[in-house]
Amino acid sequence: MAEMEVKESSKKGPGVKKSKKHSTRVDLTPMVDLGFLLITFFIFTTTVSQPTAMNLNMPKDTKDQQDLTKVKESGSLTLLLGKQNVVYYYYGNDPSTMKTTNYKDVRDIILKKKKSTPAADLFIIIKPDKDATYKDAVDILDEMDINDIPRYAMVDPTPDEYSKIQQTEQANGIK
Amino acid sequence: MGRAKIKRGSTTVDMTPMCDVAFLLLTFFILAAKFKPPAAIKVVTPLSVSNKVAPQKDFLMVTISKDNKVFLDMDPALKGDVLDELAKERNLSFSAQDKQNFINAQFVGVPISQLKQFDELKPEQIKGTDLPGIPVDSTNDELQAWISAAVNAQMGQRLNFLIKGDATSKYSTFSQVIDAFKKNDQYKYDLVTTSEQVPEGSELYKKNIEEQLNGGKKPTE
Repeated sequence: MAEMEVKESSKKGPGVKKSKKHSTRVDLTPMVDLGFLLITFFIFTTTVSQPTAMNLNMPKDTKDQQDLTKVKESGSLTLLLGKQNVVYYYYGNDPSTMKTTNYKDVRDIILKKKKSTPAADLFIIIKPDKDATYKDAVDILDEMDINDIPRYAMVDPTPDEYSKIQQTEQANGIK
Repeated sequence: MGRAKIKRGSTTVDMTPMCDVAFLLLTFFILAAKFKPPAAIKVVTPLSVSNKVAPQKDFLMVTISKDNKVFLDMDPALKGDVLDELAKERNLSFSAQDKQNFINAQFVGVPISQLKQFDELKPEQIKGTDLPGIPVDSTNDELQAWISAAVNAQMGQRLNFLIKGDATSKYSTFSQVIDAFKKNDQYKYDLVTTSEQVPEGSELYKKNIEEQLNGGKKPTE
């Protein structure tokens, strides 16, 4: 126990000053508070730092045209990832109809496409260009998960597309 | 009539045992916690909604730092075999001491030619920013050699490939790393990310709720 027994001694001579006796009992409530606060802190920090992993399956590189996956033009949406969080997208096979968007609005575009296309035809092509960051690629892959897109592929942009992106970036003053 | 006297107890509770318990638990958690070794390479992983925990066994982890350098880390249990296999494939020789140094080293951060000197460094002497990293360009793709050694050393057993990239690293480096894996016919990877909440109202959110309602079972397709 945290108390000590203090013996009362009444044998004091006259003129001896009575010293005031303080209780030796300490209130431990704040200490308990602190203890539990620390426990809570440690528990939270240990569980949160657990890293998670995201699956990624890449297709085999094939040189044979026969083996390539065929995508219906009506069902395809191409997303090009550029510099500074800009996403360019076009439907079907014609890069000249490219439009600009960002990572926030890309979800609506994907969902709209998903609703307007039969599930079997839907195919999203992701083309991160040389200047895109790793985060951009992960964000878009994550977007596929969030919107439950069953078929998508990650490929490099064609030189045509890359020069188109660069032109657009220059026109918009993105360095 | 004598009324029964109710004895008034003190309202102050003795907090000592509770304090004891609190600090006992605190001590236990601190001692039981595995401390992260101070990372020589700082990597901030991007966020994703994935909630799968990254595998901690039989892994080969490729780290991409924010200045686009590539480092390699693997399960300590595999290190010895991987080094033997690498020596065989590249006609190198490592002494027993070199091998021990390699097993004790935290990660691989230099080209193979500098490996022996690098492994002799103490963890305090290693600074991520000074290291050259493993070459991944097409002329001298040493990462591919490492992967090949690891795959052969595992002899067909499952090996988890982890890629831990910094959020600000360039996609092109990631693409080179993927190419190195592809050359070894490995197509399945786990990207290390920091977990994030699934946005409310999205398709995945609805799917997860459906799964919960079905008693944790995935809807049959």
